[in-house]
Amino acid sequence: MLSITRLSKRHGSRTVLSDVTFQALPGRVTGFVGPNGAGKSSTLRILLGLDRPTSGTALIDGKHYRDLPDPMRTVGSTLDGSGAHRSRTARNHLAWVARAAGIPRHRVREVLDQVGLAGAGRTRVGRFSLGMGQRLGLAAALLGEPAALVLDEPVNGLDPEGIRWMRGLLRGHADAGGTVLLSSHLMSEVAEISDDLVVIAGGRVVAAGPLDRVIAGHASLEEAFFALTGAQ
Amino acid sequence: MTGSREPATTGSHEPATTLVRAVAAELRKTATLPASRGALAVAMLGSLGITVLNAVSVRNALRSGQPEQVGYTSPVEAAFSAFPLGTVGAVILGVVVISSEYTANSPDAGGGRQITATLTATPGRLALLTAKVAAAAVLVLATAAITIPACLALAHLIIGTPFPAATLGETAARAAGTALYWMLTGLIVLAITVLTRSGIIPLIAGIVNSSVVSVSILLTHLTSLAYYLPDLAGLRLHGDDPLDMFPGALDPLPGGLVMAAWTLGLLAVSATVFTRRDA
Repeated sequence: MLSITRLSKRHGSRTVLSDVTFQALPGRVTGFVGPNGAGKSSTLRILLGLDRPTSGTALIDGKHYRDLPDPMRTVGSTLDGSGAHRSRTARNHLAWVARAAGIPRHRVREVLDQVGLAGAGRTRVGRFSLGMGQRLGLAAALLGEPAALVLDEPVNGLDPEGIRWMRGLLRGHADAGGTVLLSSHLMSEVAEISDDLVVIAGGRVVAAGPLDRVIAGHASLEEAFFALTGAQ
Repeated sequence: MTGSREPATTGSHEPATTLVRAVAAELRKTATLPASRGALAVAMLGSLGITVLNAVSVRNALRSGQPEQVGYTSPVEAAFSAFPLGTVGAVILGVVVISSEYTANSPDAGGGRQITATLTATPGRLALLTAKVAAAAVLVLATAAITIPACLALAHLIIGTPFPAATLGETAARAAGTALYWMLTGLIVLAITVLTRSGIIPLIAGIVNSSVVSVSILLTHLTSLAYYLPDLAGLRLHGDDPLDMFPGALDPLPGGLVMAAWTLGLLAVSATVFTRRDA
């Protein structure tokens, strides 16, 4: 379970997150939606130990990410693209990640197959399309066969077939008992895939709960989103 | 997906395991980065190239009976005068080990930086920085272990004088000192790049200062305290300054210690910053 509790983050006088609280539960896909700059990435970066909160906690099964004995076997994550240096090949990138995380080398080939990059393992990441970069990021997330997935805008840049594939993969992960937390600004995608929804705007959670309950009273998630975030 | 998950490796809770994994990963990562291969090629091929040029001019001067045309006639000096190129290579390596983490991918590919992947794989920042220091040090020392003997052998081969067995110990000490100087320079630049994140300023400053015009050497004309600066303190690690260009330079042992102190101090500052700031 991923537990975000009373998380606040300030950069100088600017408030990025204010009292953000929600959970992502096993067996469920939790959609984390909000406009650009609402605080989605900031929340996920704190959860993954990249940034420090000003106050509050973001825990994975009760622990800070940095205190997990084998973080990549517990949580797989992607943040802004593949995270691979552009001069590396996909295979080389995954090989050093696996080495750092103590994951057996054979997983590299397996995850490349799994995300549909088997033929691109020797291609330099600088020549990847956005969609291929997303797949490579997901491959790294899946390396450690983690129970939880934390994905920042995972369907960005994917073609319709890729989006459908991603949806199936995440659904399967949750149905097998895994936890999925994904952020997105694409309402229809989130509505299609999520069991639970967290809506964030201006660094505050404005709604959270099962999808149908958050949407209740609105024609669609999009309508609900604009009503909740006060956007035009 | 928990189905085929293996049990967590035993002992993975030990900090030592994390560090061993991180060192192995950083070694692989650094050794396979094209930019660091370029850095090591500069150190190796650059030193060999300059050694050949030096040795050929010494040989020509000796053959034409005009040894006074060159500053030295010893093959050992022909090789050692080429070793600033090793320093340049170490500077480039020290920069790219860190700056490659912060290079943004093209916007078409999501614009991400490798540091996010690095820190999610190794969240312990002190372990990560230690691993990067170890990887850079190992690669520079390995390059020195091949390059320096190769340059000395090449210079002797070209100039044609037999290797002076009497000075073997002294030459070995100078070679070790040079390898140490390369390594410490690389680590100083690494520490500075942790602070800047971008490689541009440390790269330009490091290369210019170690090859073209040394600001530190210019400063020695104003005050002999400049000999305590990081790049000058270890000057005599290369040898005894046969041309007497730097009369105020520190002796090898105290100079090496001062340089090592600079390195440790700057690494301590960079570790403090790196463990506290947002990635």
